[in-house]
Amino acid sequence: MNIPHLLFRLEASPLGAFTRGLGVWSYGIINLVHILGIVMLFGSILLLDLRLLGVWRSIPLSALSRPTVTLAMTGFFIAVASGIPMLAVKAGDYSDNPFLLIKFPAIALALLNVWLVHRSEAWRAHRVRDLAPPERRRLALGASLSLTFWLTAITGGRMIGYW
Amino acid sequence: MPRFHPALFAAAVLFAATPGALSPAWAHHGWGGQEEQVTSLTGTVVEGVSMAGPHATMKIRSGNDVWDLTLAPPARTARSGLKEGLIPVGATVTVRGNRNSDHSRHEMKTISIRHGSAEYHVYPDRE
Repeated sequence: MNIPHLLFRLEASPLGAFTRGLGVWSYGIINLVHILGIVMLFGSILLLDLRLLGVWRSIPLSALSRPTVTLAMTGFFIAVASGIPMLAVKAGDYSDNPFLLIKFPAIALALLNVWLVHRSEAWRAHRVRDLAPPERRRLALGASLSLTFWLTAITGGRMIGYW
Repeated sequence: MPRFHPALFAAAVLFAATPGALSPAWAHHGWGGQEEQVTSLTGTVVEGVSMAGPHATMKIRSGNDVWDLTLAPPARTARSGLKEGLIPVGATVTVRGNRNSDHSRHEMKTISIRHGSAEYHVYPDRE
């Protein structure tokens, strides 16, 4: 099963039909929710990643990591929950859209990076003690990758409509 | 007094440079990629007005070609008096708009649609 086929299936799905029938403001409102999700996700990621890259060292990392990770996860789920119906409205229209092929692999890489950072010894240790320089470098690397992948995903996503 | 942070500075520069790097894409709302002149097209409706998505759409057949018509955003299209199902499939309509500069694509950003004695001006300011 290829990607265009999946997109046409999504458009023909009950979710697609339901979303298309919601009225003239529905697309704009779903789009708004999607943006709010991305704002929550990227805003908190930016804060945490800059801290991991060495900005605002006077703020303890453990004090920043809890609210930013919680907000980022919440924002991500809002973005997914609004993004799927938004795509389903006319998914088939995007079957030849190259930005989709930038956005979704970038999200996959970003999530892989989240998983790798969270299982690292440095990330586990940051809650209970100060980090050694190699550990700080490990997290700074994760933060650079995070910013690269999420910015790529957001850029790809925003450009979908301009293809 | 805020300190100078190289990482923050680099991020800010990157951010500020983004719109410049992507500027051709901003042409969308000026209908870039469309011809300046207004084209008139008569055909029969293949797919009636759909109010789903960022813009309302419909499809008409003119000669051997099926045209994708892009209307205004749904709420604005509705304010012109158009509704889904108002113009039946098979009806003859005359549309005016700016066609895609790429003539291999039969696509038009629609300004107005005439159906019988009714005329719907979805973008009256672009006449």
